[in-house]
Amino acid sequence: MALKSVESQSPRAPVGSPDASERELLERIARSKDQVAFRTLYSSYYQRLSRLLARMSVRREDIEEVINDTFWVVWTKAGEFRGASQLSTWIIGIAYRRALNALRRAKIRPVSDEPFDEDSISVMSTDAAETDGQWLALGLSRLPVEQRMALELTYTLGHSCEEVAAILDCPVNTVKTRLFRARETLKLVLPDLAGMTGDKS
Amino acid sequence: MSSRIPDTHAEAWALLPWLANGRLPATDREWVEAHVAQCAECRGELDAQRRVATQINREKLPDPAGTEEQRSFNKLWARIEASESAAPSASIAAGGSVSRSSRTLRWLAAAVVVQGFGLALFGFNALRSNHSDGGFVTVADVPAQRLNAPALRLVFSPEASMASINTLLTHQGLSIVSGPGTSGNFTAELSAEAQASGASADSVAAVISKDPNVTFAQPVAR
Repeated sequence: MALKSVESQSPRAPVGSPDASERELLERIARSKDQVAFRTLYSSYYQRLSRLLARMSVRREDIEEVINDTFWVVWTKAGEFRGASQLSTWIIGIAYRRALNALRRAKIRPVSDEPFDEDSISVMSTDAAETDGQWLALGLSRLPVEQRMALELTYTLGHSCEEVAAILDCPVNTVKTRLFRARETLKLVLPDLAGMTGDKS
Repeated sequence: MSSRIPDTHAEAWALLPWLANGRLPATDREWVEAHVAQCAECRGELDAQRRVATQINREKLPDPAGTEEQRSFNKLWARIEASESAAPSASIAAGGSVSRSSRTLRWLAAAVVVQGFGLALFGFNALRSNHSDGGFVTVADVPAQRLNAPALRLVFSPEASMASINTLLTHQGLSIVSGPGTSGNFTAELSAEAQASGASADSVAAVISKDPNVTFAQPVAR
């Protein structure tokens, strides 16, 4: 797999940052096939990738396959990582492309896109957070996978616009457009959200 | 990045998600914050996006427990070890010298016999099992879905003779149920007798991995 260069977009991580310590693990893997370093890196990404792949509608039983395919690449290509981008951008980008390719080839089955049952949202719930969460799930279910990914990468994993573009392998302006559309769709679904934005001039 | 100062509402609006998550570069943050300070619509949208971020982070998605992570890693590691153990035999086969070819042929002959035995058992097990999973699988994954007993994944030394493999398997109470995989790995199940005598996949793997006829032995996660 060709390694993606985002040299002009992402500065090197400062020494002592999470990325710097992850790079050190990768260097140990590349240099001496260090299993402890590999296990540590795997552990630090397992839940992040699980969540991201679930958001891509990859079935739970297939998530492990995509993660392991991703880390197979990390193990075999560790020495080819040039350090021009954040390590997380590289690893998450591999996982995203693996999952997307697999979904497109129907090698793995997406979670059913059955229409969300709006009646299942309890309007009588006294737990506002729970109700908001149900509405959010409804809103997210109506977004194309690329828009869901842009939201997840931005709001859950905290990536910059440039990093999201590198992971999703698209121009920065495309990321902005996807997020813009996702925001508009969510406003149609999330009543409180729509009410808070005020009138557009 | 240049220090241009865009004054369009639309540009600031597009960047609000990264103002909300704190990842807007300083050069952009300065003018976007200045715009937001004097634009009620953008302030409302920024507040709304912060709420979306909070909600998305609250949402419960499959959150694998540590045991699942360990099981997943074991499968990946078995795949890596099987692949790397098989690599030397592949290079030997490609070497072409008479003695190496002879050894390879002897190994292949043994593998065919073991495979025949394994396939018979495997076919029997496959007929008994409800094999309807349409998902994609890896080499390491195939046997684990059909196992009926504690099992090990094994790679034999290219130097191992058929007789020594048979002796080893019999002595440890192991029966080949599938293989060889594309990486030359076999899967062997532990007999009921061996289990009754206290043997486990872990204990047998620990013993058998020291045998010179075995280059790789690891319990199969079930």
